[in-house]
Amino acid sequence: MDVIKIENLRKSFGVVKAVQGVSFKVKEGELFAFLGVNGAGKSTTISILCGQLKKDGGRVEINGKNLDENPEELKAQFGVVFQNSVLDKPLSVYDNLKSRAALYKITGDAFENRLGELTEMLDFKDLLRRPFGKLSGGQKRRIDIARALLHKPKILVLDEPTTGLDPQTRKTVWKVIERLRKEEKMTVFLTTHYMEEASDADYVVILDGGKIVAEGSPLALKNAYTGDFITLYGVEEETASALGFPYEKIGEAYRVAVPDTATATALIQKYPQVFADYEIVKGKMDDVFLAVTGKKLTGGRE
Amino acid sequence: MDSKVEIKTLGALIKRNSKMFFKDKGIFFTSLVTPLILLVLYATFLANVYRDSFASSMPEGFNVPEKLIEGTVGGQLFSSLLAVCCVTVSFCANMLMVQDKVTGTRNDLTVSSVKNSTLALGYYISTTLTTLLVCLVATIACFIYIAIAGWSLSVSDIFLILLDIFLLSAFGTALSSVINFFLTSQGQISAVGTIVSAGYGFICGAYMPISQFGAGLRNAVAFLPGTYGTSLLRNHALNGVFAEMSSLGFPPEAIKGIKDSIDCNIYFFGHGVPQGAMYAILALSVALLVGVYILLNVWKEKRNRK
Repeated sequence: MDVIKIENLRKSFGVVKAVQGVSFKVKEGELFAFLGVNGAGKSTTISILCGQLKKDGGRVEINGKNLDENPEELKAQFGVVFQNSVLDKPLSVYDNLKSRAALYKITGDAFENRLGELTEMLDFKDLLRRPFGKLSGGQKRRIDIARALLHKPKILVLDEPTTGLDPQTRKTVWKVIERLRKEEKMTVFLTTHYMEEASDADYVVILDGGKIVAEGSPLALKNAYTGDFITLYGVEEETASALGFPYEKIGEAYRVAVPDTATATALIQKYPQVFADYEIVKGKMDDVFLAVTGKKLTGGRE
Repeated sequence: MDSKVEIKTLGALIKRNSKMFFKDKGIFFTSLVTPLILLVLYATFLANVYRDSFASSMPEGFNVPEKLIEGTVGGQLFSSLLAVCCVTVSFCANMLMVQDKVTGTRNDLTVSSVKNSTLALGYYISTTLTTLLVCLVATIACFIYIAIAGWSLSVSDIFLILLDIFLLSAFGTALSSVINFFLTSQGQISAVGTIVSAGYGFICGAYMPISQFGAGLRNAVAFLPGTYGTSLLRNHALNGVFAEMSSLGFPPEAIKGIKDSIDCNIYFFGHGVPQGAMYAILALSVALLVGVYILLNVWKEKRNRK
């Protein structure tokens, strides 16, 4: 079942066409990744999706219902983790969550019960009385996620949730998200600058200049836009060169780029003596992104 | 049921906004200290000007007791200070509304299904409450000053002064809400804060009596509701002094002259405005500004969704 269905979405800011006829679907329980450089139209699409911004044209359906006709009801189906933590820094974690829960009409015992579930799920009971502004980056992110989950949304929107976090904290955040997907069967709509995060998605849409330039599963995208890479160990440069494909030296090995797995298999069969110590890997999402947009996208920098 | 739940949401927003004000040491202490600094500055620099002005307006050979002079000067200082504070403090307290936009917190609030009008009312009520609290602290400081200078306030004067403070705070909050609605950056907050702090005292007649303005300017400021707030405060701060003047045998014309000179009497194109009308103008202004503010928020919500 499609939980999100967007058709021909358009939005301009003056002469800038931020989103130009974007269409895509997100299936229930899916990890959906939305990729693009800054200004590609990701945040604009999310803002429209969450009822924060008016669209110029197109249609947005959430669980089969038109967003224009049911804005209040459909807004409550989203839990949003913003790119920057936007909770109140001077207030305690408890006060922050209590005030936000009240926006969804969750008060009194209902709030305390939900808070209990979330503290257990995200392990932040010991942080409840601490001012939000004093928490570390990873702790803040856990609270941001808890805030987004207060009203048990069906769709969790993560707008670059790990940008600016250290690798260890990124791992922790992803563990939390993975657990949510498994245990809560939640649909996750992700935008990220980190390609390795997009590799784990069920479906990826790449946006450039407000238009979709590629979409599909990570495997399909890799097959369509990148080749395979054979890394040969313990060979001379002449041997790598003799294979007749582009190559580069990586440490003491040579990395040969071939168009597909079939070509790699053919090479192994033709030159078995060369393939004594080797490995074959598919291209990465970075290569896909570079191939379809001509731009590099790594960790928040283009 | 729905309205009950909506009230709970509103209550939570008021609590959140008020906590934000008191936890932000910068805003809270600036708001609290500003009236006290103003009181010291007024007492140091303006007291003598008021005293000399009052003494020179007395007919020659008329002996005025020192306590009466000090009471008049104290009442003028007291009313001027509170008239300015109620409005400037409300602008300071209402900064949160713009800060929420600057920090992106506003998006976190509007991403929920809470109504924009509820959010707007939350800011309004919490700002009024925090402004009232700070102004009440300033009022206590002013009462102490008056007690030292020469107390002449009756119980009814005190209650009327409290009513004036409530109305002026509500007015200042409503005005700042409408203006802040259009602000989106820290720079704009600072600019508006500076303009209001510097200019409001003059146009409401707190720094300099309106009676000393030229006729054109006098008529222009008669259109501003804040003018009547200052006048109400001045009347109630000086009621006891005027009563004492009467009992000492001051001629009614002389008292009227003093009242005219220090804006206890306000004239709208030559017609005296009674105190009842002043209250009505102030209350209606509050209602009108709050209405405009809520409508602006509702309009914005509709515009974003269509």
